[in-house]
Amino acid sequence: MLAQIAPVSTKMTMTGKETRAPEAVNRRVLAFFARYGTLLVLAAMIVGFGVASPNAFLTERNLVNVLNQSALLAIVAGGLTIVLVAGQFDLSFGNVLGLTGILAVGLHQSGLPSGLAVLLSLAAAAVVGLVNGLLVSALRVNAIVATLATSTFVLGINFWYSNGAPITLTAGDFTSIARGNLFGIPMPIVIELVFLAVLWALLNRTVVGHHAQAVGANQVAARLAGVNVGRVTVVAFMIGAVAAGIAGIVLSARIGSAQVTAGDGYLLGAFAACFLGASVLRDGEFHILGTFVGVLIVTVATNGFAILGAPSFAQYLVQGAILAGAVALSTTSRRILGQTKR
Amino acid sequence: MSHSAEARTPIVEVENLIKTYGAIQALKGISLKFYPGEIHGLVGANGAGKSTLVRSLAGLEHPDSGEILVHGVPTVVQNPSAASKLKFAFIHQELNLVKTFTAAQNIMLGSNSPENKILGNFRRVPPVVKKVAQRIGITFPLDKIAGELSVHQQWLVSIARALVNESELIVMDEPTGSLDAEESSRLLQVCKDLASEGVAVVFISHRLDEVIEICGRATVFRDGAVSAHLGRSDLTRERLIMGIVGRAVAPGEGRGSQDFSKNRIALDVQGLTRGRSVKGANLQLREGEMLGIAGLVGAGRTELARMIFGADQPDAGSMTLFGQSYAPRSVSDGMAHAVAYVPEERRAEALFLHLSISSNLHAASWQRRSSWRMPWVSQRRTVQDAQKICQDLGVVMRADGAKQPISALSGGNQQKVVIGRWLQTAPRILVLDEPTRGVDVGARADIYSRIREIVATGMSVIVISSEFEELLECDRVAVMSSGTIVGDLVADNVTVSNMLALCYA
Repeated sequence: MLAQIAPVSTKMTMTGKETRAPEAVNRRVLAFFARYGTLLVLAAMIVGFGVASPNAFLTERNLVNVLNQSALLAIVAGGLTIVLVAGQFDLSFGNVLGLTGILAVGLHQSGLPSGLAVLLSLAAAAVVGLVNGLLVSALRVNAIVATLATSTFVLGINFWYSNGAPITLTAGDFTSIARGNLFGIPMPIVIELVFLAVLWALLNRTVVGHHAQAVGANQVAARLAGVNVGRVTVVAFMIGAVAAGIAGIVLSARIGSAQVTAGDGYLLGAFAACFLGASVLRDGEFHILGTFVGVLIVTVATNGFAILGAPSFAQYLVQGAILAGAVALSTTSRRILGQTKR
Repeated sequence: MSHSAEARTPIVEVENLIKTYGAIQALKGISLKFYPGEIHGLVGANGAGKSTLVRSLAGLEHPDSGEILVHGVPTVVQNPSAASKLKFAFIHQELNLVKTFTAAQNIMLGSNSPENKILGNFRRVPPVVKKVAQRIGITFPLDKIAGELSVHQQWLVSIARALVNESELIVMDEPTGSLDAEESSRLLQVCKDLASEGVAVVFISHRLDEVIEICGRATVFRDGAVSAHLGRSDLTRERLIMGIVGRAVAPGEGRGSQDFSKNRIALDVQGLTRGRSVKGANLQLREGEMLGIAGLVGAGRTELARMIFGADQPDAGSMTLFGQSYAPRSVSDGMAHAVAYVPEERRAEALFLHLSISSNLHAASWQRRSSWRMPWVSQRRTVQDAQKICQDLGVVMRADGAKQPISALSGGNQQKVVIGRWLQTAPRILVLDEPTRGVDVGARADIYSRIREIVATGMSVIVISSEFEELLECDRVAVMSSGTIVGDLVADNVTVSNMLALCYA
């Protein structure tokens, strides 16, 4: 690094402008990248993969496929966004995703109509969210510890109910949830877009959404403004859990079976998407549109590397690198924009 | 403590410093000098450029042009650690101490002294710390945990840290902001002692009396430029205020001479008690009255206000609100009874810094905004209303400003937004706790005229303040001391000296 104190030689007549100008430009460039960098990364990846394999990547079928692949992650990450906006943290949603898949398939398989099976498993997910929320708000357990505990507990239930083996559907109309189309659009994409729109409206256009933002921004001030912090926290955790639950149902409907480890890949992916999203157009705040961009980045990366024939370990390398890069981007942007604000 | 400093060479000389952020020129060519052995006051409104200057010296900002000379040598302060190598120390209002460390550990933190290189006994107090502690008159045990120290003691610890690092320039930002009168005067004495030992003390304060009392010279900032360099002989309140505001401000103009004793009693507090801070407080607030509560820090005023609002519950005592028994169990219960409270610590307790002005304004009233009994709020109407309320309250911001984050506003404008937040809940009783803390002189007068307008609508208002001069605006002033109301001043008896006398009685 540069010497920290640099006494300027008196012989050199340096006006401040000459010494400062490159840095000012530097800052502006950095600030630009902090704000729009994430979008540029997405654009660059699409162009890059498009050039690398124009016949496979940039086809209509593959792009629909990318959206279809992004659906589950988008639903989970959308729910997580609400939890993060409310200033909390959730590690349990991966196993909740597994839980609802196992429950829905299992209950349907044992004779319940698919609608009822779906409702019951979503209710189970909501209960997990309720427990998370109560642990954190009423019993003041640290959110990471609380959700790690419920996650482990839920994993136990998953193994118990399924005996550790995948449950496969042999009959019933359950799979139509994920395999059907609406106006020619695959159902998972429909569910994804509708769900994200609902979450966006919830966060930005409803009382509880504004309260969640307030609680996340300053819990003490929110309490003194009459916001019921405990209730908002519980609601946020429940939304996060139900989102994971919806994803679990769509996933098991898509593949026609459910297993304990179904949610494994989504934990990291959802956090990567949310933190990437926090640096989209805003200075480090979580928001739904940003999360959607983050989800697309994660999905495009996975899809693109798969098309290029990269080995499956590369997917993890890329996701890990994206998450670290995302957090760095988001904090850098916050720092830079924070400095220029004063 | 006026020294003939001009004869010596300055420790720091700032020449024509310019700093711009986008379209805003934060520093428009600032020049000044800090000499060894002087206490140099920096005064000016929030956003006038004081903090940008200080941040430049601290290496937190890099000026666009101009020079900083340290002992006559042009120097670029790259970052905070460079500043500390130049023997500059900065003590901010927030006092960055590690709460779980002892006072001695905090003093040694970041020091380059060889004592610090050895992992020794954690409870041991190094001799260099003892020496410094003695020098500034620290009498409390140095192995006490910082979190258990009073604010005054924490300031002494911070100053001691600066001295262990042999700092030649110590910048103190609002050092007496949350101290009571006695603690303030002790801290001011420490400043004087430091100066007489040759340290340059830069004293940033809104408390003009203290600036006049201890500073040898003062530099007044307005809109990013120096509006006055005042030497010892022309350091008067009038000159300072002229420099800060650009015009003279007369205190206490809005005072009504109305008699409220015939009005209905809005709030009757009887024997309210909580812990050791409030002990049997009695208070009556009449409808349409502006009641001031004076007192020293620690008198229990904030604690009393929080009980009135419902944020805390009393151990004993009772309240009635417009003749009805009133015992709020929570903030929302207090709000349901149309009681509102603007807290003392704006940043910690009232602001959502990265949310928009609009969101900050509506934070207590989202429920009221929802349409058709549904939890649904209209974004367009919300922002429009915010824009209008800001206009009514005289919040200075960009034309489309309600969507920008509240952190972009000055302290005074932020405070107006917080007051606006509560006005929207249509309160019958509004309690304002230190409404002008961290607000510059010009905006203070403005905030009081807004409060006057609010009172004129028939609302009953309680104003808590440690700035007794501001309480001259009130119709009546109750004085609180050691947890109880010790006196009540009306009409001509509302004077600063009467308030002080009751505080110390």
